[in-house]
Amino acid sequence: MPTPDSLRTPTQPSARRLYGLYLAALAAALLGNLLIRFSAEAGRLPGAGRAVLGIAAAAPLFAAAGLFWRLLARDLDELVQRIVLEGLAFALIVSVPLTALYLNLRAAGVGLPRLDPPDLLMAPAILVALGIALAQRRYQ
Amino acid sequence: MKNALPQLRAEHGWSQGDLAERLGVSRQTVNALERGKYDPSLPLAFRIARLFGQSIERIFAAEED
Repeated sequence: MPTPDSLRTPTQPSARRLYGLYLAALAAALLGNLLIRFSAEAGRLPGAGRAVLGIAAAAPLFAAAGLFWRLLARDLDELVQRIVLEGLAFALIVSVPLTALYLNLRAAGVGLPRLDPPDLLMAPAILVALGIALAQRRYQ
Repeated sequence: MKNALPQLRAEHGWSQGDLAERLGVSRQTVNALERGKYDPSLPLAFRIARLFGQSIERIFAAEED
């Protein structure tokens, strides 16, 4: 049976590819952070240069965030959209009690490692990945 | 929600990938629909009904029906 053209849409990007793109941009931002720290400690780059490097390293993340939002809002297949949204909701919901637990245990003097900004940047990405994996399982 | 998607797809001799392409969704969506793991949005339900030339009620039914 022939299919009307109006029923056809282009192949949709997978949530995995979308997330991979976001992670690559996150890695670029973290790499920039490392370079800034090393250059600051070694005194090799002036303050303005470090600022430019910081902006340049974070720029791909802004671009990826914009692309992520556009795909999520307009282009994703509806099940993939739901899976990604559930993953994001999971990350948001779980990160609050985890952060509260970490802060309370640190305040109580329990020997937890101190988290640096790069660690804090990675935590939501890991939680989103976990949330997406859990949502994927539910719909398989 | 129960649905007649597997039977209708089989009648047309389509794979899940074929149906997914015709509906403009992923194969994962078709698989989840057929297994009753995911209920489609109203626009997708209408696209499915149009594709098979049947009413939505003939393709989808609540579990208690």
